[in-house]
Amino acid sequence: MRGRGGYLLSKVGWALLTIFVVVTFNFILFRVLPGDPAKAGIRDPRLNPDAQAALTIRFGLDKPTFLNFESGDPFDSQYFAYLGALAQGDLGQSYAFRDREVGDMLGHALVNTIILILPAQLIAIVIGILLGLLAAWRRGSSLDVSALIFSLFTWSLPTFFLGIILLFLGAQWFGLPTAGRSTIGAEYASFIDEWLDIGRHLLLPTLTFTLVLLGEYMLIMRSSVIDIFSEDYILTAKAKGLSTYRIIKDHAMRNAMLPMVTLIALNLGFSVSGAIQVESVFSWPGIGALTVQAVGQRDYPVLQGAFLLLALAVVIANLIAELIYGWLDPRVTEA
Amino acid sequence: MRPTPRTTFALLVTLGLVLAACGTSQSSTQPSGSAAASSGASAVPVTGGKLRIGIGGSPDSLNPGNGLLSESYTLYELVYDTPISLAADGSFQPELATDWSVAADGETWTMTIRDDVTFHDGTPLTADDIVFTLELYRDTADFPYLPSYSDVFDSITAPDPTHVVIHTDGQIGNFEARMVFDYILPKHIWETVDDPVAFDNAEMIGSGPFKLVENQQDEFTRLGANRDYWGPVPNVDEVIFQTFSNADARVAALENGDVDMITEFPATAVKALRDTDNVNVMIADPVSVSLRDYFFNVVDPENCPTDEGGVCSGHPALRDVTVRKALATAVDKQQIIDVAELGLGTPGLSFVGAGQGDFYASEVSDYTYDPAAANAMLDAAGYLDTNGDGIRECPSGADCGPTGDLTFRFNYADDIDSAPREADLLQGMWEAIGVKIEIQGLDPDTLTSVCCPTFDYDIMLWGWGGDPDPAFLMGVTLCSEISSGFSETGYCNPDYDALYDQQGVEPDHAARVDIFHQMQQILIDDVPYIIPYYQSNVQAYRTDTFTGWDESLGPLGLEDPSSLSVVSQAQ
Repeated sequence: MRGRGGYLLSKVGWALLTIFVVVTFNFILFRVLPGDPAKAGIRDPRLNPDAQAALTIRFGLDKPTFLNFESGDPFDSQYFAYLGALAQGDLGQSYAFRDREVGDMLGHALVNTIILILPAQLIAIVIGILLGLLAAWRRGSSLDVSALIFSLFTWSLPTFFLGIILLFLGAQWFGLPTAGRSTIGAEYASFIDEWLDIGRHLLLPTLTFTLVLLGEYMLIMRSSVIDIFSEDYILTAKAKGLSTYRIIKDHAMRNAMLPMVTLIALNLGFSVSGAIQVESVFSWPGIGALTVQAVGQRDYPVLQGAFLLLALAVVIANLIAELIYGWLDPRVTEA
Repeated sequence: MRPTPRTTFALLVTLGLVLAACGTSQSSTQPSGSAAASSGASAVPVTGGKLRIGIGGSPDSLNPGNGLLSESYTLYELVYDTPISLAADGSFQPELATDWSVAADGETWTMTIRDDVTFHDGTPLTADDIVFTLELYRDTADFPYLPSYSDVFDSITAPDPTHVVIHTDGQIGNFEARMVFDYILPKHIWETVDDPVAFDNAEMIGSGPFKLVENQQDEFTRLGANRDYWGPVPNVDEVIFQTFSNADARVAALENGDVDMITEFPATAVKALRDTDNVNVMIADPVSVSLRDYFFNVVDPENCPTDEGGVCSGHPALRDVTVRKALATAVDKQQIIDVAELGLGTPGLSFVGAGQGDFYASEVSDYTYDPAAANAMLDAAGYLDTNGDGIRECPSGADCGPTGDLTFRFNYADDIDSAPREADLLQGMWEAIGVKIEIQGLDPDTLTSVCCPTFDYDIMLWGWGGDPDPAFLMGVTLCSEISSGFSETGYCNPDYDALYDQQGVEPDHAARVDIFHQMQQILIDDVPYIIPYYQSNVQAYRTDTFTGWDESLGPLGLEDPSSLSVVSQAQ
């Protein structure tokens, strides 16, 4: 296991193992909680007993959890049924929405979440990096101080609170919509009109999410660049008479980006779930909202699917970060 | 989508930071009557327009058999027809069935079916579709609610395309009520479905005044007017239900005109909405009662359903009806309504709500709030505070639970927003009569597991949403339901059970109403439950975008599609 190929292989192997552990852990986690899923899953805990019994059988909840010692087949259990279906890409049927496939529900929610987080992440990353760079470069100036205060403020602001305030201001002063992805049932004169409408709907949630993310990116970037500026090779570059632009572009940026790559990758992975608060405030039907709803209903299939997806997002984002790391800093692959 | 410029003052009102003292109530009551009574000045309603309604939830299924949420039932009411419908005043009206009658044996019902009804795909609706639907609902045990309406039909036949004959297993007293949730499905589509529970019914072909245009779970549902409807055709082109999971966003959307109507908004928003121009607020008792309850573990150890996991650890003193009466007398229902629900409720009596017409036993008198009388009752029964710690002990020699005094466990469902406040209020009210409660909130699932049929609790706070017909909720207190988990209290009174059986077979409405009144009296006398209040329905709508809102339909609100059929775009 040497060199780039081995590095890649071991990283992918660890990622797969992590996912398997997550799958099993999710399965156990929801079942050690008190209560009867056959009742909770169908939302109405006071459902009539006949319907409860029928639904229990429908979802296989009458079977043993892990191993079946009673019938001849020890693998006729909830756990192995779940693993078997999962291997075929089948996430099962929701308990709460009995005529819906978990895969469809998650797919739809994931698209919504990506529409929400991707623009916000991109804007936050670009502005955060530029602002951090600028602040580090003009360290101690009034620009640095104001950027610092602004970033600390937005970073520490509770997402939910910021969202509610922006919602009120936007709705009252600018007549911006308070929920949804676009005006429902609208007929657009042109393609541009449609995108303008979507843009209006995205404005408030994106702004909220951007502000929340921005501070962290700016602060990490600033301190990272300040660290690099004190390195000997920057001094050397200065001594060679290189322009500030060349120093930043060729010498500082690549090194300063190392911690940023980690942060961005982690944030991207976690923001699939981290949009919960923004989604709640703006009634955005994404993964976060779906997960919260499923927790309330103890909808095991949806929860297992959602947690698997969240774990996948984090694991894959980390994997990508490791690979980019290897490219940015070849020393990593030799280690 | 009109951006409405607003002042900071208006914003603060919305935030509830300013208590505007000049609020005038705009909700008016009109005599119930024809739908056209309040349709405004315009004689000919404008056709067209998209009516947008902001709701808190989202229909959980387009398949009527699977629906659990009220949002789903609103949708079914609009897209499907039922044989008989329930009108705003609580009376039963012909819908697909033009008339119905029972034969001399009291068990054979015949309905005459309209011959001018077509499904949204153009196929005619006949008696065959009704037979198919009723059998499907009856025989699909995994449908959560609908099977219970047709469970006593032992044969359903269609001798010809316009008649349905139903034979019941014994006489029944609520035939009409059993017909109002039977959404008639097209047989030609549903007969090809292998597993009706797994069927998503994405096309949702019905025969109602609206047809499905588009549905996006948790986002919106678009319904278009059915221009070929046999009954009154809606004036609007489209009705759009949009989900706003955040209640404040829902209120803001009505204020800036993004939606024309909202339902279920926080009590705190009522005042602000009343002060908003061109917005009308309606508060009414729903026909399907929604109630809060405080109930006692009264299960007799002899009735403990040990085979079903019964623990029956309830405090023995709660099985003494005097203690329960004293607890009921010490509860100030109006204060609970004012504090916990900000006044949006009416004091409760029993399982039948004030919006349920003549079923509500208005002549039965409830316990009047009187802490002194409650104290006297406990004193007289020998519950005295012998050790001076402020909590009463049981009469000497009596089993008095683990603490040896009147200390009760008190659990509430933590998904009820007002529950913690109500629990605090109760703690204070009962402390005044020497009773202590130890409060603990539990998620509904855990609450179920300690509730029933386990009976491992003392007092619980929860709630019920009922049917327009009282038979469903009144069945909660039957002896036979103790082991099924449906009975929450373990209450058992043979007199009550006998009356319940009697109403089930009583074909005469007035006689049946009388039986339900007697049963409500028994529940008041025996106090297995304290019903502090019935929740009110709240709705608000804009008067500048659409007109013709029928306020006489208040109690039904959105449950009745006719209100959405009569509104029209403002001129």
